[in-house]
Amino acid sequence: MPKLTVVISQAQGKNPAKQQLEAELVAALSSDANVEVSLVPNLYDLAADHSATQFLRSIPGDVIVLSWLFPRAARWILDRQNVRGHEGVSLLESKSDDEESDDESPARKNGNGRHGPDDAKKNGNGNGNGHGTEPDLRPVPNRKIYCLDLRDHSDAKVYLGEIRRIASEASLSLVDLFSFLKTQPQPERLEKYLRPLDLLAEQKSATSLDDDDDVPANGEVVRRRWYPVIDYSRCTNCMECIDFCLFGVYGLDPLGSILVEQQDSCKKGCPACSRVCPANAIVFPGHKTPAIAGADGEVGDVKIDLSKLFGAPSAVELAARERDVELVRDGRDIVGLSIGIPKRLKDKPKKPRDELDDLIDSLDALEL
Amino acid sequence: MSDLTFLMGKFEARIPTDRVYSDNHLWLQADDEPNCYRVGFTAYSVRLLQDVYFLEWSIDPHSAVHKKQEIGEIESSKAVSTLYAPVDGTILDFNERLLDDPSAINTDGYGKGFLFRMQTEVTFLTPEEYVAHLAAGWDKTEKLIKGQYN
Ligand code: SF4
Ligand code: SF4
Repeated sequence: MPKLTVVISQAQGKNPAKQQLEAELVAALSSDANVEVSLVPNLYDLAADHSATQFLRSIPGDVIVLSWLFPRAARWILDRQNVRGHEGVSLLESKSDDEESDDESPARKNGNGRHGPDDAKKNGNGNGNGHGTEPDLRPVPNRKIYCLDLRDHSDAKVYLGEIRRIASEASLSLVDLFSFLKTQPQPERLEKYLRPLDLLAEQKSATSLDDDDDVPANGEVVRRRWYPVIDYSRCTNCMECIDFCLFGVYGLDPLGSILVEQQDSCKKGCPACSRVCPANAIVFPGHKTPAIAGADGEVGDVKIDLSKLFGAPSAVELAARERDVELVRDGRDIVGLSIGIPKRLKDKPKKPRDELDDLIDSLDALEL
Repeated sequence: MSDLTFLMGKFEARIPTDRVYSDNHLWLQADDEPNCYRVGFTAYSVRLLQDVYFLEWSIDPHSAVHKKQEIGEIESSKAVSTLYAPVDGTILDFNERLLDDPSAINTDGYGKGFLFRMQTEVTFLTPEEYVAHLAAGWDKTEKLIKGQYN
């Protein structure tokens, strides 16, 4: 019977508290017969051809991914890497309430074409790893991916409890998982992920490193990256992002679906396009504003954002300003609000929106 | 001089007349040095925020800022917000006591719960003007206040 796989995605940087939580989890789970624990570099930073990415793709059954990211961000980063499955629902209390659970499943199950095959999508980003020449509209693999946010709790026990709960839940439905054993992991490349304790030890003894790069034990350098991640459960394929970004980050897959094609052309720190996306579908997992970093911002007891009340510039103002900064850095001319600003926003009456309008709107969105 | 009040539903937001106001709901009270103010949240802001439990500044003391520049983050039991400079000027220093425990924002928002000190040449709203500013937007907020906080 395949075990439940637990993947711990390491924090960026060398925060000792974070590393300790990772180590405690690995230590506790290594001795648990019901799970297989693995430690990988930060998910967001993994290149498509990194061995850890290939390892992730090779996991056959249910998987729990613990990362220092909002679950929604983690889920769509994995999706972009062709690590897919149904969303597993964690019962852990989280800072960002994610009750949306099956939100994306209907759209994706009935294969409405918005979501092309990720192998096609990898064009801009190096090759895939060989499998997946299938046509579009693949069904979502019949397994669950649980994404847990390691920032929610500081006590490893909380996570261990939830992992055991999921493990017992999963053991009831493990029978049909064998059908998913299609891909062939390359054993020698994968082995290192199955020895997380050695890996931790190796890391501890690693010599001091450039602060900006996290080097995993296998020697593959993982650079910090910065790029948009599309939440296809929200994206309406409206094309506003591709019109707005002047740096060639976005592209279309063969079926005309929006795609983050040239991830590494994105400007570090620039979150501009996420502000123009009308569906709030563009996530920058490393951004400090939770709504941009992938917090689930529209359900449950999520807090009201009072930023407008306290003087926030409008999203479009901000986006255009941020884009201009990057244009100047590239030695190009600033364009302000003249290019790629959606009509719906441009044609708005000049009178600045009252901050209270925005408040009311945000409440309407909450359906109070 | 007696304080003004602004009625938020049943809640009376007190607007003291010994200071001036910015349109983004901060009060400013002249400090010792010229053009220097203590700055804090008005009762109106605090009422919307409810219990503040997290406050963080993203700029260093003695930073020049421009209006609407992001300067920090706040989180309360009910809301989150980025914080923005009210006007062009220089943020001199932050209220240290809030950094460990921001509860003074709720208990003494017009006094010990001030946020920072700022130097600027800009003129601000008088208490009367600020109350008028609040009144102008009130109809729309009423629904919010009632639905959320009463
Ligand atoms: S702007 Fe948002 S909704 Fe529109 S295509 Fe881009 S990601 Fe999708
Ligand atoms: S953040 Fe800026 S550079 Fe990156 S994709 Fe968006 S608009 Fe383009």
